[in-house]
Amino acid sequence: MNRHLVQFLAVFVKEVRQTVQDRRMVFLLTVAPLIQLVILGYAIDLDVDRVPTVVIDLDGTADARRAVAGMMADGTLEMVDQLGSVDEGEAALEAGWADVVLVVPEGFARSLLRRDPARLQVLVDGTDPTRSSVAAGTVNGYLAAQAMQAPGASGGPGVDVRARLMFNPTMSSPIYMVPGIAGMLLLIITTVITAMGLAREKEVGTLEQVRVTPLSPRILMAGKVAPFVLVGLLDVTACLAIGAWLFDVPLRGNLLLFYAFTAAYLLTTVGAGLLVSTVSSSQQQAFVVAFMFMLPAMLLSGTMTPIHAMPDWIVPFTWVNPLRFYLEGVRGVLLKGATLADLWPQLAILTGYGVLILWTASTRFRKRLA
Amino acid sequence: MRHFFIRVGALAHKESLHIVRDPRTLYLGLVLPLVMLILFGFGVSFDLDHIPLAIVDHDQTTDSRRLITDWTASGEFELVGSLSDPDHAAGIFAAGKAAAVLTIPAGYARTLARGEVASVGLQVDGADGQAAQQALLRADAYGRLASARARHIQVAPVGADVWTRFNPAGRSALFLVPGVTAYVLAMVAVLLTALSVAREWERGSMEQLFATPVGRLDIVVGKLLPYLAMGVVQVLLVLTAGAWVFGVPTRGNVLVLGLASVLFMLGMLGQGLLISVITRNQMVATQASTLSSMLPSLMLSGFLFPVENMPLPLRMASSLVPARYYIEVLRGVLLKGNGWSDQAGSLLALAAFAAVMVAMSTVRFQRKLA
Repeated sequence: MNRHLVQFLAVFVKEVRQTVQDRRMVFLLTVAPLIQLVILGYAIDLDVDRVPTVVIDLDGTADARRAVAGMMADGTLEMVDQLGSVDEGEAALEAGWADVVLVVPEGFARSLLRRDPARLQVLVDGTDPTRSSVAAGTVNGYLAAQAMQAPGASGGPGVDVRARLMFNPTMSSPIYMVPGIAGMLLLIITTVITAMGLAREKEVGTLEQVRVTPLSPRILMAGKVAPFVLVGLLDVTACLAIGAWLFDVPLRGNLLLFYAFTAAYLLTTVGAGLLVSTVSSSQQQAFVVAFMFMLPAMLLSGTMTPIHAMPDWIVPFTWVNPLRFYLEGVRGVLLKGATLADLWPQLAILTGYGVLILWTASTRFRKRLA
Repeated sequence: MRHFFIRVGALAHKESLHIVRDPRTLYLGLVLPLVMLILFGFGVSFDLDHIPLAIVDHDQTTDSRRLITDWTASGEFELVGSLSDPDHAAGIFAAGKAAAVLTIPAGYARTLARGEVASVGLQVDGADGQAAQQALLRADAYGRLASARARHIQVAPVGADVWTRFNPAGRSALFLVPGVTAYVLAMVAVLLTALSVAREWERGSMEQLFATPVGRLDIVVGKLLPYLAMGVVQVLLVLTAGAWVFGVPTRGNVLVLGLASVLFMLGMLGQGLLISVITRNQMVATQASTLSSMLPSLMLSGFLFPVENMPLPLRMASSLVPARYYIEVLRGVLLKGNGWSDQAGSLLALAAFAAVMVAMSTVRFQRKLA
């Protein structure tokens, strides 16, 4: 057998044994991420619905009640209480148990009857801008729809927007969040463990001992990262299975392309971990530095908020973010059935970053070891 | 009792020296939260403008161009190109070039002129849920706008006056800064202490500590105090930066905020200490603390995703996440002008969490070698 292969396998086996030795580590690397995926998959629901609403009906007529019921009809707003005065409504907003206060003024029905402009008052808790704009939009949408049907306004020309949601017709949040969560979990697990693994050898002093063996630095590195690339591939497979099983995440494209993206992405994450370990002398330092890389990567990837919504000066930062390209690739393959023809730029960039990071890390590593 | 203070003081002094002599830990503690606040504050935005829109205009009339201008004028949609066939939408989405395609059929202007309702099609890329949701919401509004104009409706008989309280301009930063504060502090706090005890076990210095008269409560308190002091500085830095860079107001009782901050930091530091005490291994400790603090504080705290929307088991789980209560206090005090009575429940929850964590760390701390 090839001498290099023997050496590689020796390091590989040693690393696997060392990791498996601590059962808690095995749990943290395999089961824990899947539990996270399940919890987060269920947690993330960006649909705004059941917004707690307090109604203050100062009119008290059948028309007023009908209007209120109409606004609650689509489930976006949910009436939690009826109060007597606007002051009580404001107090409810401040205490936080209501996010919307709907005030039907006295004489609402009379104004409607006389075709005077009848005004409703809506107080919205603007703390969460998305929620407040959806809530206000619901009220306005209902009123606009009523206005269209009012005598004299109905009929006539109009524009009807027929929206069709592609790839995710039920607008299920997990379907588009699972790829992002999987990418974040891979990043957290593989980067940190690679960074700390080497830092531990330095800290404990075993790296010194390795230097007296005939191992070349590159083989040592390859043997050290290979187990975690495998762990990453294993985790991503489990994520895919759980995603498909619990959340109906589809696989519309090519499975091989999915793994190609994952492998390229893992090169960047373990490469980043190695690079971090070359600049740190203790595990704590390694973790701090890895952390400084991970947080912006997660944030500026498009997982949480779309990249086109970010300010222009921040967008260039996303160009150097592997998670961004992984997310685009994986969402493309899984949800959109994208092929290599669609996604080759992302795959090429990701592979390029992977090779570049690993090469830099191994060069630095060799220098430090020598 | 006097001896207790002397022992704790000595341990706290030793731990402070550790911190001061490791600039990277100081960096993690003091600079990282600020960097994160600024990155999050600018990078994460729910003002989802610039949704990339492609158009298919089969009508090519003044009316159809008017409709396109309506959609793109406000910056909510950004015109990225035009297609000849709506069937190409899937390909455009797969390549990630647009997030929505608006199709105006031939005869659009003629249908309007005849006084009938014209349908236009909108295909939305459901793979990015947030953008898709915004696109659908806005499509509705633009549809109504176009209809109202076609019918020359001037004054709707019923309208709503919407007053948005607390955040009238609907700025994402006001919503996010409290969440970011809690998130960043939670992570940094847990990480700082998670490694501190495990490191002593790994390096063998714990054995030396056992040869001294210090008890386990001395060690726990002595370890917590320096980090708590650092945490208070962190809170002040982050809140000052929030007020200064993002214009976050302080409308409520600062004392409530101060007490909540101390309790929250104590709870998170205690959680890190507990992890450290149980694991005795830095690698296991970091994995355990990232998984137990990083993701829950991000996903289950109401920071980005409203707790009300989660299924019941997760709402119950989120009641065990201290970041959730701290965010409630931050939003309540900073934005809503809350005082003691509004936030008593949250303060109590934070105090309970801190007490349980510190007590458990002390109890689980075994003063013997494994």
